[in-house]
Amino acid sequence: MSEIVLQTQHLTKHYGALTAVDDLSLEVYGGEVFGFLGPNGAGKTTAINLICGLLKPDAGQVFIHGKPVGGSGVRDGEAEIRTRVGVCPQNTILWDRLTCLEQMEFIGEMYNIPRKQARMRGSELLEILGLAEKRQRLASTLSGGMKRRLNLAMALVHDPELVVLDEPEAGLDPQSRVLVREYIQSLTTTKGTHAKTVILTTHNMDEADRMADRVAIIDHGKLLVLDTPAALKQRLGQGDTVEIKLENGLAGSPVDSSASEAKARLALQDIASDVKLEAQADILHVRLLNALGRLADILQALTNAGFHPGEVSLRANTLEDVFIQLTGRRLRE
Amino acid sequence: MKLWSVFRVSLREQLRSPWDLLLVLIFAPAFIIAYWSFMGGGSTYYPVLVINQDRGRCRMGDSATSCAEQAIAAMKLVTYESGDALLRVILLDDRAAAEQKLRDRDAAALVIFPPDFSQSIQAALQGQPSSGAPVTFVGDLNNPYYSVAGIAANAAIDGYIQLATQQSRPVAYAEESLGGSGTRSEFETYVPGLLIASATLMMFSIAIAVTHQLEAGVHKRLQITCMRAFDYMGGISLLYILIAVVSVLLSFWTAQLLGFHSQGPLWVAIIICIITSFAVIGVGLITASFSGTSARAAIVVNFPLVLLLFFSGSVFPPVKLSLFTLAGHTFRIFDFLPHTHAVVALNKVLSLGAGLDEVAFELVAMTLLSVLYFMAGVWLFKRRHLS
Repeated sequence: MSEIVLQTQHLTKHYGALTAVDDLSLEVYGGEVFGFLGPNGAGKTTAINLICGLLKPDAGQVFIHGKPVGGSGVRDGEAEIRTRVGVCPQNTILWDRLTCLEQMEFIGEMYNIPRKQARMRGSELLEILGLAEKRQRLASTLSGGMKRRLNLAMALVHDPELVVLDEPEAGLDPQSRVLVREYIQSLTTTKGTHAKTVILTTHNMDEADRMADRVAIIDHGKLLVLDTPAALKQRLGQGDTVEIKLENGLAGSPVDSSASEAKARLALQDIASDVKLEAQADILHVRLLNALGRLADILQALTNAGFHPGEVSLRANTLEDVFIQLTGRRLRE
Repeated sequence: MKLWSVFRVSLREQLRSPWDLLLVLIFAPAFIIAYWSFMGGGSTYYPVLVINQDRGRCRMGDSATSCAEQAIAAMKLVTYESGDALLRVILLDDRAAAEQKLRDRDAAALVIFPPDFSQSIQAALQGQPSSGAPVTFVGDLNNPYYSVAGIAANAAIDGYIQLATQQSRPVAYAEESLGGSGTRSEFETYVPGLLIASATLMMFSIAIAVTHQLEAGVHKRLQITCMRAFDYMGGISLLYILIAVVSVLLSFWTAQLLGFHSQGPLWVAIIICIITSFAVIGVGLITASFSGTSARAAIVVNFPLVLLLFFSGSVFPPVKLSLFTLAGHTFRIFDFLPHTHAVVALNKVLSLGAGLDEVAFELVAMTLLSVLYFMAGVWLFKRRHLS
């Protein structure tokens, strides 16, 4: 297992009566993309702010590379921690009347990078993120997507080991989204230097599923689950959907259909969470977790019950299903 | 050095908003030009209405003339030491119309010469008993201009009567001006207060600019870097000190172009203005600390602005409520405002020709207070927005 880059121990933060982060303990390993998911108001941003040292926890502690992160100021040793962490805030924060390159230089200097080096690194990042031609343009003249990309570049100018990205794909068009996604994924691949560790908060489940090695879902400040997307999809949610064409036409009439559905449900009662028969097309919809692993059992059970399973298709469980099951359907904001 | 980087970037941003910068820089000189024009190009003149009902004639040598007309001529000759006229005499016939002008404050005073004015003068000249004809002064006693206009007109008429009747007072009055104040135009006497007021008005720019940065969230982005609050606040403050210096120099230059002459060393006056700017920045930061948005800052800043302008003596004479005396200095209620000391010091230097040693107490007091205000601003801003 890789070394632990970030560790939170019983992290707690209250705002009056509201507990924004409640006893949050987790570990993030070097070189992984760590997805941090939760509905609006779940405590993600507060947790991120605690991790970055922007907020002081009421209880608990954050460690980066084993060193405690303080609440404010740049105290002894904390400057070193800060140079190892890069944060891309959810809101685009730029200096309107500075050019792209000047912003990179300035932020680099704030991270103790010599100006010349910050300039070189800035140019490189602008190139990677498709802003090379805009390097001398004022931020105020950039499009929304360009500003988002510049916002991301500024989090990386000091070449941090731990990168915290708060909704990095929000407001990006599909082309920019692909570019940013590929770049984020490239951060964790080793290229001569140590691979970076990425913490990603997002509402886009597809984005998290594609990019994250592990995912933590929090709600009401509490950590609900923490695992790989694949493992979560196997364990939680309404499950995969297996669609099975019944060859013996048992669903010819509404009466037949209802009886056949009941019969199938009985046959699969120990396996599936839900069974439905689509009468018009004689297609049986079976929902269960880890469908691929239990497909043979399903088919055998149906055959034993007198059905003749034909064509089979499988629609996988999604991270969104997992998320909704854990956090519910109630609107938060 | 991060402080320097913050300063450089802030300056660059400021230079890329030339109109904003220009407005900030020309504000103080424009304020001085406006005041100069209110002073009629140097000194205030006081419009005095005159109703001449005098029917008689005085014999002066071979000719006979109206004594009231001669008294009116004497009023017209009342000038400042600079030569600028003090009274502007306007002749009227109708008392009702004259009183309406007083009510509308189109004039400061009304003088009515009685029908037997010449007759009384003539009688006094010939050693006969005078009828004691009353010269009537009418005015709105709540109008501060009335006192000046009334006294000046009274002195002019009194002087004429002494001359015309060839009678002298048993005692003479002599006036000696302090320092170079005697030759100063009214505009020049206002310049010290105006300069302090101009520097104080920068508080708007500072409070609004800093809260604008808060709105943009840049402090949050910087907070996660290795930058210290001191670097951020220092860099921004350095920029505004620079702007203040340029603004003060432009103001001095403008005042000089309009006829202002400093009696003391100009560099001491500039140091006083710079120290004042330091306090203004501190108060601007305190204001920004309590204002989440620039719109709110524009409202909140009015409170310290009024306090600093109206209670320090910059605009109105200061409130002299004594608290205690220490080492020969009486401390008054508004001495906790650095501007109070700045106005006194600047007045001593510019109007009375004082040097650095003569304003040492004020300089030390205002420096200590300015540093205190600045530190309070930095501490509050850090506590509320950078922690």
